[in-house]
Amino acid sequence: MQTEHRLEPKWLKPLLLGITLLFLGVFLALPLGVVFSEALAKGWKVYFESISEPDAIAAIKLTLLVVIITVPLNTIFGVATAWLIAKFEFRGKGILITLIDLPFAVSPVIAGLIFVLLFGSSGWLGAWLGEHDIRIVFATPGIILATLFITSPFVAREIIPLMQEQGTDEEESALTLGATGWQTFWKVTLPNIKWGLLYGVILSNARAMGEFGAVAVVSGHIRGVTTTMPLHVEILYGEYLFTAAFAVASLLTLLALLTLVLKSFIEWRIGKKRSLAH
Amino acid sequence: MSIQISHINKRFENFTALSDINLTIPDGELVALLGPSGSGKTTLLRIIAGLEEADSGTIYFNGEDTTATHVRDRGVGFVFQHYALFRHMSVFENVAFGLRVRPKETRPSEEEIKERVHKLLKLIQLDWIANRYPSQLSGGQRQRVALARALAVEPKVLLLDEPFGALDAKVRQELRQWLRSLHDEIHITSVFVTHDQEEALEVSDKIVVMNQGKIEQIGTPEEVYDRPANPFVYSFLGNVNLFHARVEQGSLHLENTALNTPDLGASKEASLFVRPHEINISVDNAEGSGIEAKLIGWRLVGPRVRVELETLKEHQKVEAEISKSEWQNIKAHENESLFVHFESARIYTGEALWNDYVI
Repeated sequence: MQTEHRLEPKWLKPLLLGITLLFLGVFLALPLGVVFSEALAKGWKVYFESISEPDAIAAIKLTLLVVIITVPLNTIFGVATAWLIAKFEFRGKGILITLIDLPFAVSPVIAGLIFVLLFGSSGWLGAWLGEHDIRIVFATPGIILATLFITSPFVAREIIPLMQEQGTDEEESALTLGATGWQTFWKVTLPNIKWGLLYGVILSNARAMGEFGAVAVVSGHIRGVTTTMPLHVEILYGEYLFTAAFAVASLLTLLALLTLVLKSFIEWRIGKKRSLAH
Repeated sequence: MSIQISHINKRFENFTALSDINLTIPDGELVALLGPSGSGKTTLLRIIAGLEEADSGTIYFNGEDTTATHVRDRGVGFVFQHYALFRHMSVFENVAFGLRVRPKETRPSEEEIKERVHKLLKLIQLDWIANRYPSQLSGGQRQRVALARALAVEPKVLLLDEPFGALDAKVRQELRQWLRSLHDEIHITSVFVTHDQEEALEVSDKIVVMNQGKIEQIGTPEEVYDRPANPFVYSFLGNVNLFHARVEQGSLHLENTALNTPDLGASKEASLFVRPHEINISVDNAEGSGIEAKLIGWRLVGPRVRVELETLKEHQKVEAEISKSEWQNIKAHENESLFVHFESARIYTGEALWNDYVI
């Protein structure tokens, strides 16, 4: 048991607790409850019909496709960038670190617009793409590009500090012991960052599934073709199909809850590692 | 395996880390690279290992040019100051790493690996913690594991970068002696970097004193300590009092007192280096040529007493180290004028000339 130091008035702790719980209740628990109760308002049958109609299935498939492509790409990009930044010295490193954060700073809508301006029919590369019959904007490639852009910082951000903290001693050790660069990466570098990496991947995954702004701009809202789950929810809602909208939303919410559970588990693992190290 | 270092130069941006280093390390010797931080000693060690590339110059192992050989193929064992153990591997796996990463043709069988690792763990007296992880070991144990790991690949040369720098005083002392006896047992050519003169004096066969990217002196511990080549080496190898004096009519004058020196020739400026244990303190100046001073502080350091004085004329601080019985004698006259005598000293007259001065 920790001894409590009575430096603050007695009522402060319950007050802070009350405020936090009230806030969490109104802004998190209540909406969460509403999502599921609305989704199931007309019973399980309607619920399952809503999430198994062709457009909903198409939206789920598209979302999964986007995730399957963007998350691995961003993992590779993140590891490569973090490795470069943490283990090598070069000019312009500070600028590079700032650039990695750019997708966080730019509004997602602007990010989407950038791709429309680049690849749209009247965009910079539009004419050339048209000639070669390549569709990027208002098609799946555009959605993937926009999601890649939005989710690119997550993995890198997570593991750069980790790799910087660990330094290069262990890698140098491995080299003097005769390991190749490849062996060093797989046997030394990767195991040391694996929990941080997984954490970044989960955050990146959550955002890839839930991204709305940038995707909305490049998607063109073609039902059953270029609508991801968040866009599908919006369309259904706009058509006053509340139960269907909430049913699909409940799927996204479930995925979010699952992500949170995984995230807590990983944080617990990292915490355990830390306390072992000290 | 002997190591020959020839005309090595290394710059970092605007900082010259090493300038024209030449050094030969004979087979089987334990050599210390000793110097203050920024003297280039670690850079030189990393260049020998192949972890750093020299701007120019050549490294020979047994007469063979290895300058272009990759660190992986150089056959060096490297021990880092902060151990650099693989934190996600057990002690056993750490030591086995160098054997496991070998290509199939040269990789020992699982039984051989087991046998060799346990033999090494016995050598470092840590056979009983083979299954622990680095985070569960003490600093001294970690460094011993790091050493076993480096030795597992049967290196031709062992390089240690401030190997005991991160350990506390008692463990450091133990490990030093242990390293020395280990070296006497396996006779592998070893180079270790240190900024601790005591460590270098105690452990090594030969000391290379470095300063500002250059070698100041190479010699056995006795040579370096007793016959330092220049003022830098002298002051780096222990505490020292430095006095600025003048040579007049052949003898040295300090604070208007003529010292009994050999004939030093024409008048000139001179520096006088005296170690604290070379200083005597008297209350009556019976022998003459004592410099008048007053006591300003004292401290017990184990069996000795460190006394701080200040000369009366030029207010220069003097540090002396005397025995307890001498101190009892002086303490009675704590508030009177005392006299500082030099039992022996070194005189430097700026002409790259050292003169010994012994009473």
